[in-house]
Amino acid sequence: MGMSQAEDWVLLAYRLPRVPSTPRSAVWRKLKRLGVAWLGDGLVALPADPRTREQLEWVAEEVTEHGGEAMLWQGRPLDAGARSAVVSRMTAAVAAEYEAVAAEAAAVRTADAAARRRAVARLRRELHRIQDRDFFTCPQREAARRAVEHLAAADTAGTRA
Amino acid sequence: MKWATRPGVHVDRAACAWLIRRFVDPAAEFIFPADPAAVPADATPFDMRGAALGHHHGQCSFETALAAFGLDADPALEEIGRIVHEADLADERYDAPAAAGLDVLIRGLTLTGGSDHDTLTVTGRLFDGLYEHTRRQLMTGRPPA
Repeated sequence: MGMSQAEDWVLLAYRLPRVPSTPRSAVWRKLKRLGVAWLGDGLVALPADPRTREQLEWVAEEVTEHGGEAMLWQGRPLDAGARSAVVSRMTAAVAAEYEAVAAEAAAVRTADAAARRRAVARLRRELHRIQDRDFFTCPQREAARRAVEHLAAADTAGTRA
Repeated sequence: MKWATRPGVHVDRAACAWLIRRFVDPAAEFIFPADPAAVPADATPFDMRGAALGHHHGQCSFETALAAFGLDADPALEEIGRIVHEADLADERYDAPAAAGLDVLIRGLTLTGGSDHDTLTVTGRLFDGLYEHTRRQLMTGRPPA
């Protein structure tokens, strides 16, 4: 969940055999879901807190279970410009996801009530998923949340009266 | 017996500790070394890197522990396993709406500054309740009133 003005980052350096490719893509999907910054080939980072540290610890465990090598580090960037470039990249990635949610909510407004209700349930779940990897409270979050709640309000307004 | 896990317990460790005390070792003594290398020889580590009772094959430590202790035939415990899995990993393998609430409650509890032992006292009651609720729901097919 979004936090972290903290300067420390937790880094995972890992190497997995190219074959079989299944564990490689499983690890890749997991890192993607966690919203890591990709710093280089086999080097990812997250703003450090007990939760992100644990998340990367278990990914490291999975890498070693599949015959790879993994090492965790904690540290801070010495180059402020490079740090803010990394943060911008991470923020842009979640911003795009929020915008997609807002666009979907807008697109489904004219659909029938059942389709709208299904969309609300799905988009709320999607918002939670995105929020978990939104470490820097991306400004698009609020707009996306409002778009989904707007859609929900349109359907509950009648029943509440 | 002595059981060791990392300090700052959250849902997976709290669930494991409850399982151990209730179904495996009523006299369990829990210790919380920060470093896996500092686990005493006479203690069984759980939910720590490198422990047999840890995350394996995409499962959380509680699910691993259920199988290791031969408790996976209890459908209520299996259901709690799915809830803990989603609260801990949130990978949407299971449909477990209770997971989000459990995650928030235990996370909040650990912020109130009690010791890990205090946390386990409260979460023990919480999991007793979750177990009873899940058991009755499975018996009647309806959430208990």
